[in-house]
Amino acid sequence: MCSGLYYLLSSKETMKQIVSALLLLSLYLGAAAQSRRITGKVTAKDNDSPIPGVSVKTTGKAIGVQTDGQGNFSIEIPEGVTSLEFTYIGYQKIILPISGNTVNAKLESTASGLNEVVVVGYGTQTKREFTGAAARISGALVKDAPVQSFDQALSGRAAGVSIASPNGVLNNPPVIRIRGVNSISLSSYPLVVIDGIAVNTGNISTSTSVPNNPLSDIDPADIESIDVLKDAASTSIYGSRAAGGVLLITTRRGKEGKAKVIYDAWGSSTKAARLPKLLDATGYMKYKNEAVYNSKVLGGNENNSSVASELFFPNYNADGSLVNTNWYDYIYRTAYSQNHNISVSGGNKTTNYYLSANYSNQQGFVVDNEFKRKSLRFNVDHEVTKWFKIKAGGAYNTSFNQSQNTGSLPNSTFLLIGAARLATALAPNVSVYNADGSYNLSSTGTLGMGNNQVTNTLWNAKALFDLSSYTTENDRFTGNIGATIKLPYHFELNTTYAMDRLRTENNTWLSSQLGSSGYSVGGSATNVSALRNNWDWASTLGFNNKYRKHHVTALLGYDVQKFETTSWGAYATVAADNFFTNYEGSYSTVTASGNSKSEKAFISYFSRVTYDFNNKYFLTANFRRDGNSALGANSKFGNFGGVSAGWLLSEEGFFKNLHIENIVNNVKLRASWGRVGNGNVTNDYASQSLYSASLYGSAATWYLSQAGNPDLSWETSKQTNLGLDLGLLNNRIQVEGTWFNNDVNGLILSAPQSASKGIPDNAILMNVGAMYNRGWELGVTASVIRKENFSWDASFNYTHIKNKVTALATGNSDIIGYTHTSSEASNVTRVGYSVGSLYGAKTAGVNPENGRRIFINKAGEKVQYSATVASGESNWTYLDGTTATAISASDYYLLGNALPKWYGGLSNTFRYKNFDLGINLTYAGGNYVMNGTKATLRDQRFYNNYTDISKRWTTVGQKTDIPRLVYNDQISNGSSYPISANVEKGDFLRLQSLTLGYRVPGRVFGTSGISSARIYASGNNLFLLTGYTGTDPESSSNGNSNTTPGIEKNAVGQGRTFTVGINVGF
Amino acid sequence: MKKIYQYIGLGVILAFSSCSEKELLDTVPSTSISDANSFGSASRILGLVNGAYDAVKGASLYGGRYLLYCDVRGEEFINVTANSYTAYESWNNSYNSGSNDINNLWSQAYTAINDANIIIAGLATSTGVISDTLNAQYTAEAKYIRALCYFSLVTVYATPYNSDQGASKGLPLRLQAETDGDNNDLARSTVAEVYTQILSDLDSAEANLPDSYSSDLLNTTRAHKSTAIALKTRVYLTMNNFAKVVEEAAKIVPQTSAPFSTTSYGVKHALQSDITTLFGTTYTTTESIFSMPMTSSDSYSGQSAIGYIYNANSEYYLNPDGILGNAQWGSSDKRRSLLRVASSLYYLKKYAKASPYIDYIPVIRYSEVLLNYAEAAAQTGNLTLAANLLKAVHARSDASYTFADADIATASALVFTIAIERRIELLGEGFRSGDLLRNLQTIPAKGSSSLQANAVAPTASNYIFPAPNNELTTNKLY
Repeated sequence: MCSGLYYLLSSKETMKQIVSALLLLSLYLGAAAQSRRITGKVTAKDNDSPIPGVSVKTTGKAIGVQTDGQGNFSIEIPEGVTSLEFTYIGYQKIILPISGNTVNAKLESTASGLNEVVVVGYGTQTKREFTGAAARISGALVKDAPVQSFDQALSGRAAGVSIASPNGVLNNPPVIRIRGVNSISLSSYPLVVIDGIAVNTGNISTSTSVPNNPLSDIDPADIESIDVLKDAASTSIYGSRAAGGVLLITTRRGKEGKAKVIYDAWGSSTKAARLPKLLDATGYMKYKNEAVYNSKVLGGNENNSSVASELFFPNYNADGSLVNTNWYDYIYRTAYSQNHNISVSGGNKTTNYYLSANYSNQQGFVVDNEFKRKSLRFNVDHEVTKWFKIKAGGAYNTSFNQSQNTGSLPNSTFLLIGAARLATALAPNVSVYNADGSYNLSSTGTLGMGNNQVTNTLWNAKALFDLSSYTTENDRFTGNIGATIKLPYHFELNTTYAMDRLRTENNTWLSSQLGSSGYSVGGSATNVSALRNNWDWASTLGFNNKYRKHHVTALLGYDVQKFETTSWGAYATVAADNFFTNYEGSYSTVTASGNSKSEKAFISYFSRVTYDFNNKYFLTANFRRDGNSALGANSKFGNFGGVSAGWLLSEEGFFKNLHIENIVNNVKLRASWGRVGNGNVTNDYASQSLYSASLYGSAATWYLSQAGNPDLSWETSKQTNLGLDLGLLNNRIQVEGTWFNNDVNGLILSAPQSASKGIPDNAILMNVGAMYNRGWELGVTASVIRKENFSWDASFNYTHIKNKVTALATGNSDIIGYTHTSSEASNVTRVGYSVGSLYGAKTAGVNPENGRRIFINKAGEKVQYSATVASGESNWTYLDGTTATAISASDYYLLGNALPKWYGGLSNTFRYKNFDLGINLTYAGGNYVMNGTKATLRDQRFYNNYTDISKRWTTVGQKTDIPRLVYNDQISNGSSYPISANVEKGDFLRLQSLTLGYRVPGRVFGTSGISSARIYASGNNLFLLTGYTGTDPESSSNGNSNTTPGIEKNAVGQGRTFTVGINVGF
Repeated sequence: MKKIYQYIGLGVILAFSSCSEKELLDTVPSTSISDANSFGSASRILGLVNGAYDAVKGASLYGGRYLLYCDVRGEEFINVTANSYTAYESWNNSYNSGSNDINNLWSQAYTAINDANIIIAGLATSTGVISDTLNAQYTAEAKYIRALCYFSLVTVYATPYNSDQGASKGLPLRLQAETDGDNNDLARSTVAEVYTQILSDLDSAEANLPDSYSSDLLNTTRAHKSTAIALKTRVYLTMNNFAKVVEEAAKIVPQTSAPFSTTSYGVKHALQSDITTLFGTTYTTTESIFSMPMTSSDSYSGQSAIGYIYNANSEYYLNPDGILGNAQWGSSDKRRSLLRVASSLYYLKKYAKASPYIDYIPVIRYSEVLLNYAEAAAQTGNLTLAANLLKAVHARSDASYTFADADIATASALVFTIAIERRIELLGEGFRSGDLLRNLQTIPAKGSSSLQANAVAPTASNYIFPAPNNELTTNKLY
């Protein structure tokens, strides 16, 4: 850690000594007067834990005592004293009237004012000194949330930070955007630094069925704080890695005092929310047969007996009742989860320790979806001598993820095994099982269609789930050891070595039995083992001195980090026996799978200088020179940096002369400018032209596998930040407003190449293009009501952001974003618009004359479509019936911006006596979402439909937005390609969480040793206020992709969770 | 004393911190090689040649799906799944520029073309690593690959040559190695220009390809002289240049009556006595002039494997109104044993091996050359030779069948009968739509009680595949 923190620690020691001395003196002076005895207890307001060492004084007189280890005090007061004053460092002073012989005090932490510590890169600053843009989120806000990783719980907690869950599959990495999308091809995920080491983020699973977010390896309860660095002046110390912002995670450490034991536990239940209402068996047959008949008529076969009039027929159970299957029952469930956490922390003057253990066992609301984690952590700090301190920490965990394919992860949207689509599309008029108890299957293993005369390509979800498993499991150790050496002349040397060794095993098993998607290959098993080895060594030389009114700190540092990733595995097919359920069984064919080996390194030199004068004027300058192995041979190094300044206006004499300090007690102006880079190419050898080896039959081959670019360099963003901080009503209301502008240049793009050039993936990474993110953010925290028995604290944040692409590759040609397959061109990145705008065919309703969907072609003309026409007629016609050219991608329009223009959160905490109530709302809007699932719900193949299909066109003159049903129509409703009829506004307000807690009064515990206990119940995602008709407006079928946001297609939505929990302190 | 320790600490840290920048930042992959080394050794150059063949073997191209598209566009198969990922759009001729198949086929063929261009360019400058003979041979193989790919593209994405003697716009003719961001824009050459390039490449390949290789496997999976000649018979036939078909075919079919076989070149190409051995038993006989090899470690599965689509997943059955019901295909014809029946529907089982799907995919067979030759001979008036060739192919699978005189008496009757024979012999090998298009015939309507596909006239826009978006959006001169 850095100089700043040490400075605070040492001053705390000094303060204590002074306080003790004063107390002794006051006791001596007061001994002679006439007096009575008052007793009481001092506790912390936020958690009711007793506070030892609090100074209790008579107001205006120098008589005082200190509280003992249990927070109790006893004081003799002279005649005429009517109130007591309680002070303790880190807490707000309070004065309480004396009534009776007992006075109990609750102290409130001051960690909300200017003395709050802000963790910055390679150090800390106080909020007073800090001149950039950052937000701090307390670990307490995430530890009780029913999530797998802390990042999922940050929704709506900080201005400028947008966090959305792409779907309800457990441990799916959320979509995090700090001040918007800051790149196009590279990740916009922020850099995550945990106790000084940058760690792997994203999805590290090799399967498109089960996600694995490595951030879930951190037990949320171990987190002390999360600091979000937002502007270049703060992030530029991380140079080329910080363009998406930085999340600095600090884990909990021991504090001086008696050992403190805390046990936290919660249990929860989750159900799928907002599932569409589907047709039952009768409705299914009615509408499908209507489509079949319409198709027959439109094909000119009304009197042709060889073309069927009906293809869907009832099936009956053994008891003669109609088969009516609700596939939701086999795909969704009520999921139960539990989480336990225990920690021991404490220390003495020289040694502090923190130990914790976590067990989490969570279920997802999709059948078979599980997450388990076991983790242990220790952190220790030791002062060897006055000038030499060491600190160390380590955590080991295993985490296990299991899920069926839900079709919800990137690149799985159109897989035939996607559970979300199966849930809506499977025929309800056929049964799950045959009469003999076996699965109802076709001869190729898909769902048997019974009496229906159609071929089904979708799987029997029950058989599919039973006969397959997809898992990914982590074994991980992260650890660090560091030393601080105080040098003469106010210098200090810090060094930290950190390691992060993550082994992942990804296993897939598909049975050889009929009904499994592995049936056609005779069963298969794939094991891929990956090792991610990451180490970092950072050393800094710091200087910190105050000379009269001048305060200077300086930092000079060196950081080297290396990531090595090795992955190897095998794919086995044709099981010797269907008994085998894992790779270790016997298979006749085994081929290599998932092999890769790569490494990348960063070398950085950096410095920071801060200067403040008289606690009023603040200056910070950062510089960093970065080397990145993944960039082109001609441009591995880049220089980055930033300057920022702050002016604490409220410290000025003229301001004080206004005498408004009771209204406005703190005014601070901030300004910063910085230049950061982005070289986070996912491919470690992105700049190189490479040939890879493969096989042609059994002959060895080499082929061009990557066309490189030796000039591949950094994306750079120039960020300007102007801010105003206000403290009102003695800091009861704190306001932070910031305007920002981020100009990103030299965007690294997978510049599309003409397919006829035959270049791998038809793309080469190049630095082309530019864009900006501009906006403002506002954060307000307020203690609305603060009374002895009742308080209301509220915090509100709002971010307004505009993203605009200003230049792209040669000729500014559009970048088309695809959802899973090249036929689903769903997004376009176009100059003048925001990144990844929605894209597709423009429609103009349904022709009331004939029920055909009307499209607008590129010339702006209306053309209509009929899936079936008689021979010689055209499927595509103008409204006058003349033949028109089919709508293709060349007719596509930009259909709307997919990035929210505004978002934020509102959280309220109410306390009444021992009760607390937390309400956390999140909102976002100004964007459009492609409700691609609507296409599936209206699909005119053998798919089931939702009940709204009853609004389809049936009669001439009818006005509706659902076209005439024509069997096998895949165009009119958007199944073949996206259409504007499915684009909807994405505005929403969500009740993210509602928590009611109760603090059990301390007296209940007597001498049991329990010092505090709180029980609580909470609900997550209790309501969603939105005009969006899909499952969830925050859905993202393409996960974290920058170029394909805002697509919901065949994905599971969010769950609704109820939790009960307990926090106990000993 | 304290200060001394402090400075020792400082010194130690600085000493350890000074890692070598160069060592850390100049990372080199250990699983692939850089372009600078790709022509560095004889085995690597051979690897590049095999790599270009492997690109031809891409799933979208001759790995199998190209054959599927060309077959199901015609009238021989009925689709049951309406699944656009298994060529439904090809079956009902409803492709658009955004369709997966349209984009993937185009990209895959051009990837193989670029691989060939890289070899041609690289061998032109790198001398001394391999012998000049080998250098010329590898260049010839690359040219053969380039010709095959251009032919495969021009016959589906461009107006048929015969409709206007190739005057229509054809394809961007890429003849340079492309490895960087330049040259995205390239106008289309005419169909005729593309054919000229194909033939020039094949002539050049014929001159420098070896007569044969050291093994049956290599003779089947890499191009030798007869391979280039055999392909030329297909190309000239597509152009209705029958005299040239005859000229080329005669090189590898020197006889005028059965048994026919290649005698003048290294590989003695001949019909096998039992056609079924070609599919599933012996993939490297002298009848298989060029095939895509499959092994358990290099094969396709699922929707990438046509064996899965046709057979394992039963997605297409034979249209009772197609060639299946034709009298020329007798019930005792051996080729019927390449079908299987389930619920009275016939399914193709030329690619019958299930998991791993290691049936070789045929690209050129000797029987096709004989039928190309037969058709050209009939068109050029050599009816006896034409009939002999036709009978040789038919009798191999059904010796008991006798062609009615009316079927073979005139040139036009012979051409008609040979066309039927092609549909029987080459069923499922990717010929049907090509044969319809080169003769400018309407693609017939077909269907079942649940799925119907309309007829497509030669004037209709969907008679040929649309240009793919991945070209349209990046090549402004297209």
